[in-house]
Amino acid sequence: MQSMKLQHGMERELCLSVCVIQLWMESATRKLQGDTRAASLLQLKGEGGGLVVLLHDAASRETRKRSSERPAHRGDRGIIIMSAIRKQLSFQILLLFISCRNINTKTLGATAPPLDPTAPLQKLERSYVLKGDSHTEKVELLNPVSLVLMCTWTGSQNKPTNITGFWSKDGKEIENSRVTVQLENKQYNLKRTFSIASEADLGSYSCDFGGEAKINFVLAVPQMGDERDKPIVSYLGDSVVVPCKLDDSKPTPNTWNWYRANETGKEQIIAGQKFSIKNDEKKTKLVIHDLTADDSGLYYCGAVYGVGITMGRVELKVISFFEPLKPFIAILVEVIILVAAILLYEKSRSKKDYTAAGNGATDQTNTLSSGENNGPEESSSMRQRKV
Amino acid sequence: MPPAAASNLGYTPPDGGWGWAVVFGAFISIGFSYAFPKSLTIYFKEIQEYFDVSYSEIAWVSSVMLASMYAGGPVSSILVNRYGSRPVVMVGGVMVCTAMVLASFGTTIIHLYLCIGVIGGFGLAFNLQPALTIIGTYFHVKRPMANGLAMTGSPVVLSTLAPLNQFLFDSFGWRGSFLILGSIVLNCCVAGSLMRPVNKNASPEPKAEASECNGAAVEETAGTPSANLLTEENQSGSKSPGCMDKFIDFSLFKHRGFLIYLVGNVVMFFGFFAPVVFLAPYAKHLGIDEYSAAFLLSIFALVDMFIRPATGLIGNTKLIRPRIQYFFSFAVSYNGLCHLLCPLADGYVGLVVYAVFLGLAFGMVSALLFEVLMDLVGAHRFSSAVGLVTIIECGPVLLGPPLSGALVDIFGDYKYLYYACGVFMLVPGIFFFIMHYFNYKRLDEEQRQAEAVDMRTSYHSCEEAVELKTGRDDKTVPETEG
Repeated sequence: MQSMKLQHGMERELCLSVCVIQLWMESATRKLQGDTRAASLLQLKGEGGGLVVLLHDAASRETRKRSSERPAHRGDRGIIIMSAIRKQLSFQILLLFISCRNINTKTLGATAPPLDPTAPLQKLERSYVLKGDSHTEKVELLNPVSLVLMCTWTGSQNKPTNITGFWSKDGKEIENSRVTVQLENKQYNLKRTFSIASEADLGSYSCDFGGEAKINFVLAVPQMGDERDKPIVSYLGDSVVVPCKLDDSKPTPNTWNWYRANETGKEQIIAGQKFSIKNDEKKTKLVIHDLTADDSGLYYCGAVYGVGITMGRVELKVISFFEPLKPFIAILVEVIILVAAILLYEKSRSKKDYTAAGNGATDQTNTLSSGENNGPEESSSMRQRKV
Repeated sequence: MPPAAASNLGYTPPDGGWGWAVVFGAFISIGFSYAFPKSLTIYFKEIQEYFDVSYSEIAWVSSVMLASMYAGGPVSSILVNRYGSRPVVMVGGVMVCTAMVLASFGTTIIHLYLCIGVIGGFGLAFNLQPALTIIGTYFHVKRPMANGLAMTGSPVVLSTLAPLNQFLFDSFGWRGSFLILGSIVLNCCVAGSLMRPVNKNASPEPKAEASECNGAAVEETAGTPSANLLTEENQSGSKSPGCMDKFIDFSLFKHRGFLIYLVGNVVMFFGFFAPVVFLAPYAKHLGIDEYSAAFLLSIFALVDMFIRPATGLIGNTKLIRPRIQYFFSFAVSYNGLCHLLCPLADGYVGLVVYAVFLGLAFGMVSALLFEVLMDLVGAHRFSSAVGLVTIIECGPVLLGPPLSGALVDIFGDYKYLYYACGVFMLVPGIFFFIMHYFNYKRLDEEQRQAEAVDMRTSYHSCEEAVELKTGRDDKTVPETEG
């Protein structure tokens, strides 16, 4: 057990030494009393009573110079204390937490934070009280934050005094996150601080109470609204406007990027002669000039937030002008055929009528009854005679 | 019965036969005229982005098209008076087709205004007027039915064009869609080819038989046409053929019935279209989601589609036909009442009920709109009348929805819009009732007078004719031989 703790301690040593160097540089430049204090306190930091004291000659010299009240005598030797001096320790740990918040104690490792180390991280807190088996909570993040997640569980039927809780990210357990949770006020509490600085830090974080209850926090950038599933259609030689829009309820991104899908993934589009990008807070437009058949395909718009990029997808289809011409000509032909048919039918009908009427008229002129041709003639002649 | 002014046409309309083919042609023409501008709105969003203009600039395309359609009325009337319906409709169809094809190559928004707006609008005007006119020439007894059926074209073509436009847009983008729409509109030419000019020599004349002078029955049938002619002339002053026939009949402005119709309609149109335009936004304002709001419009269109022929059928019955003006007044007043009661509609169910009643009211008025005009002025002068009416109605039709929109913006509540529209329709409705009551009384009086005069003249002419006939019998024998 001890050796394991020693190993962990070695790792922590490394991390802490980095922190100390940072602090030393900071204190030299900023001359903040609190920081030097923190440097010495850092030595005393530990979990569950395990402390590691590191190189801090410079720090201790500083503290002596500043004549701080801190117990400088502790700083001279590397001591591993497995002690029960809880009160002082807890007080110092508290002070550490308060003043040391600008230092990244990343235990997850792989990706280095791409952000400016001098900028303080915003602190964000999310908590959830679980009454059942499991729950998923969505957390929308824009910028890098120091996220404190607090899980509270009311417990199951039998409430053991101690339960083992741990944290996991994306299904994989986080190292050194196992703790024994005490039952306080009929509740179990788990709390951990995470530093979310880049896209790799996003994902699903879960706190697990002894495998019985679990709360998932899904960390993500604001998602794009519903996307257009049908492609935008345009023509060869024409220009096209490809739009992308964020829902009004989502926050404004820092900027927009456009990408073109190719064999090896996404390739960023640079504005120039062929492409122009117009950004307008929550909307963006990509204008493509002089379309060619090669321009068909998938385009991605990315809303850039501090902590990641959210993608929207649009498909473009470029067709030639002959495509709509075919139905046009088809319908044109149909109209011409119908019109010709109707007019011809009418001509043939009227010929029959004309010949029939002609025969009828010649018959009627012989009798004195009103023939169509004679009728008006008779009445006009009648009128003439009336006058 | 008020003198059926159309029976002075000089012939008996067929009331069937090829007439139904003509009704089908009119159905298509009228359908395209009313539905085409409304259905183009599907393309506006993409065109707006392509040309980088604001939404109101795009909406102008629709407004210019509608304005041209109404303003082209008199031009259309002149041409129909001169050349008949068929050539005008076919030219109109070709015009709209050319307009859409040119628009599909458009490079600026001004292009669209000119092509779709002006040329397209005029083309549609050349479709609307002749279609209405030719129904009057083919039908007399069954005319309300024919009118109702023809006006059904509007909702039917709209509900066909809306999904078709969406499909075309998804497949071809806006340019290709305009091209294909141009060819679809060319079907108006097919409709035009169906509009064969009516054969005016088809049936024997009752007037010609007056020379026979066989008893009172013949005199009466002879009396009524000439009496009508007389009353028509009394109302409007002498109508000399020749110059007047070629251009618009401005003497219509002295026609009592026409003036009543005009005044009432101008006020009515301020509140006619606005409730339909604002139905979906009002529903969304009440918190109803977008798809249910669109469904309200579908309900409205469906009810509208069925009520138009039904109204035509009712208008044809023996009870209603003589007093069809009262039926129209009732329809307009009912519209007004519907709008006034709309703000009481609560929630989605209330709005559905309102949409049904609105469809009923809208359909009734639309079906009767031109029928009553025909009834008042007669099929002879209908062409000029409708031209004058449409250009004067142009104002209220275009101003109505924006004014209502302004009302909504000022008060922030839709109920004032509905109150205003209700008043704008109820007042003309009551106006129509009162004025037509007096009009009918006057017309009956005039008819009685005219009949009395006619009886005397026909008696004299009968005597003369009898003399002449005996004289002519001697003469006709040598004529036929020669």
